[in-house]
Amino acid sequence: MEINSFLKLEYKRWTLGNLILSLLILLPLFTLLYKFIFFDGSSFKHIFENLIFDYTINTFYLTLITCFFSLIFGIFPAWIISNYNLKGRLFYDLLLFLPLSIPSYIMAFTYSDILSFTGPVQSFFRDNLPQISNFLNKDFLQIEFLGILLALALFPYVYTASRISFSYLGSNYVNLSKNLGLSSFQTFFKVILPLSKPAILSGLFLVIMEVLNEYGAVKYFGVNTYTTGIFRSWFSMGDPDSAIQLACILLFLVLFLFVFENKSNSKKKFHFKVNSKIQKLNSIGKGKNFIFHLICFFPSFFGFIIPFCYILFNSISIIEKTDLFELLKLIFNSVGISVFSSFLIIIISIIFLFTEKLTKSKLNSFISQLISLGYAIPGAVISLGLIILFSGIQNNFFSITIIGSFFLLVYAYIVRFLAVGISPIKSNLIKQPDSLNDTAKNLGLGPIKIFQKIQLPISKLALISAFTITFVDLLKELPITLILRPFNFDTLATQTYQFAIEEMLIESSIYSLFIISIGCIMLLILKRNLNKDLDVS
Amino acid sequence: MKKIILLLLVTLSISCNKKNLNEVNLYSQRHYNVDKKQYENFEKLTGIKVNVVKANADELIERLKNEGKNSPADLFITVDAGKLYKATELGLLQKIDSEIINKNVDPKLMDPNGFWIPITFRSRIIVYSKDRVKKEDLDTYEDLANEKWKGRILVRSSSNSYNQALLSSIIANHGLDLALEWSKNIVQNFARDPKGNDRDQVKAIAAGQGDLAIVNSYYIGLLLSSEKEEEIKAGKSIKVFFPNQGEGQTGSHINASGIGLTKNSPNKLNAIKLLEYLTSIEAQETYVNTSFEYPANPNVQPHEIVKEWGDFKKDSLDLNNLGKFREDAILIFDKAGWK
Repeated sequence: MEINSFLKLEYKRWTLGNLILSLLILLPLFTLLYKFIFFDGSSFKHIFENLIFDYTINTFYLTLITCFFSLIFGIFPAWIISNYNLKGRLFYDLLLFLPLSIPSYIMAFTYSDILSFTGPVQSFFRDNLPQISNFLNKDFLQIEFLGILLALALFPYVYTASRISFSYLGSNYVNLSKNLGLSSFQTFFKVILPLSKPAILSGLFLVIMEVLNEYGAVKYFGVNTYTTGIFRSWFSMGDPDSAIQLACILLFLVLFLFVFENKSNSKKKFHFKVNSKIQKLNSIGKGKNFIFHLICFFPSFFGFIIPFCYILFNSISIIEKTDLFELLKLIFNSVGISVFSSFLIIIISIIFLFTEKLTKSKLNSFISQLISLGYAIPGAVISLGLIILFSGIQNNFFSITIIGSFFLLVYAYIVRFLAVGISPIKSNLIKQPDSLNDTAKNLGLGPIKIFQKIQLPISKLALISAFTITFVDLLKELPITLILRPFNFDTLATQTYQFAIEEMLIESSIYSLFIISIGCIMLLILKRNLNKDLDVS
Repeated sequence: MKKIILLLLVTLSISCNKKNLNEVNLYSQRHYNVDKKQYENFEKLTGIKVNVVKANADELIERLKNEGKNSPADLFITVDAGKLYKATELGLLQKIDSEIINKNVDPKLMDPNGFWIPITFRSRIIVYSKDRVKKEDLDTYEDLANEKWKGRILVRSSSNSYNQALLSSIIANHGLDLALEWSKNIVQNFARDPKGNDRDQVKAIAAGQGDLAIVNSYYIGLLLSSEKEEEIKAGKSIKVFFPNQGEGQTGSHINASGIGLTKNSPNKLNAIKLLEYLTSIEAQETYVNTSFEYPANPNVQPHEIVKEWGDFKKDSLDLNNLGKFREDAILIFDKAGWK
């Protein structure tokens, strides 16, 4: 009894700490909401009359296309890799993971350059096969094409989530359904997919967030979405009120998705048995072999090999003109700030999730969802929320500069990317039965001890993947860094952007090459760790 | 929790040591390689350290506005005079007073109120397909609204500030009604929905997707000096046309890349020194030869490629108008359905 009351007090303290920390993180969002409530509606009328229809249609249509192709590119290869003894299986498994390292705007710029009139594909056919070249001479800057390109950059979120889920499902379900007379086709659609729905949805959720946030690629393709609308009204029209209106529409949209995802997850709450039999790989018939190869080859080839090689090729042609010392400095800046920030993000994620798991209180689980909202808001909007907030503080209380300090930059990163860090850790915690912690509690372990002795060891892999994915995302980050960076602070991403925006794609390639390569190295390390945990040895 | 507080304190204390005597701080929208070179040369010459934050003009204005009197920035650099007008209107700038600059810069390009100075300028011109358009058929920006161009005009999106500046100049010259009429007709004449950047419009002419495009002059220079043979070929398939050159016509639209001195500039003397250097013949030549812009200093000649297009009559409009009518321009774009 005594222990329990002590723990209750201890948990209250944790909850309180949680509450304060979450307030800090939500502060910039509150600033926006405050502006949302106290605004005058005159300017929004213009948007409502002339633009909102276009914004809405484009946003939904683009999201739909991207989701559709992300699912196709993600789920089917994941199923094949998890179940069949395909030649080059491990290689595919890696390649299907790596497009994560390519920023979506670089994917869009690269492909439109490759396919443009002056690009290598069209020039080749013009010189050699003029008949076909007319057929290829098309306007590729279309919303459907953009959707496919974004899917090529984002499908690994779906792939990874379903891959892990398919592997953990193990052979029991498959064998059972086969014994009941279902074909492997039926098994996949009637048993495996429904069981993996929560995992797939959580991957898809990240895809949707990224699409809603996309700015560079969307603008280049002339597709007006809510995000381009936010930028347009805030910056070009000097009208933050309308921008915040639009940002809030985005927020509500995401909130709705949150609720939807939770509902569908909570209905199907079950724990995987960690030691369920790992599935034996099936061998493939001759006919299927080719199709399976094609399914795995397509997304990895177009999602990674082509853009990577093109960028590599461009980089080699420009390397003589590049200031290598400068390049080194940029690498140092990018890696430094990303490592530091992802580390902080992971620590904060742990604090939130662990408290949630331990106290099992609704409040804490609500908080840990709420703080993920930042991911839905365009980086530029978060930055401006922070600038408004801190300029108020700075002008009244301090004589020092907070805006333009590393502190604010990292703060903004945390607000925006906490969801990325939280997501893998959370899906790991959900899988763990509550009995582990309950037993520990009954044995009299305090929260910190529970974390040290139990959670940390079993969550190690989840922590590593959370760290890696956050790191890679930060490496690619652009809008926040642009607005909030201190003097003379450049990163690989800002440098890439500066050249790309001036329509100097070749010059930008060497910097994007390093974003991609560093990202790849991190992802490869992660993949090795993941594989140890999955079926691959 | 403790870690966060600790971090807060550490960063705050780091941010405190910001005073460095011999420096100048720039908020800049220009991020060409040439700018870095200029600052390095200036540092060598004077020993004054140049610090730069680069972002979009509007974001930098937001930052300046919010930082208020504590802003560390000395100079605000843009590629669009309209943004300098905006900064002036918001009270973020102070007057620049320097004999040397007045002597260096073409007085026609200067801000009549003295709040900012131009460093280079560019024209938004028409380029046309050598094969499908006759030069005699081209005339003015206004003429592009004519039905004969139906399905032939290529231009980028209306979110682009160069297009916004062009429409602002049309509003300033002809009024709101005519500008709306013009935009509506141009939209009717589009070869495709606006997309891509200025180079893409030129490539689309080469690809036969349209016959003429509205682009900034220096992009043609960049295209013709590209690393890629195919791009040079595309650049050679088009010709440059300066619109509105006739008697009684306004002259081709130009826009300046310019610099304003911030209201609370902490290193004002150094800032003026940098401005004087950037308008000098030496620095102006560097600009002209790497970015294909036109020099603000009339004693400097443009790049060879640019010179080949010949001299042209510039719109003599006070460039502040490009900012004054900016919001009207965007509203008109939206009403006209110019994406």
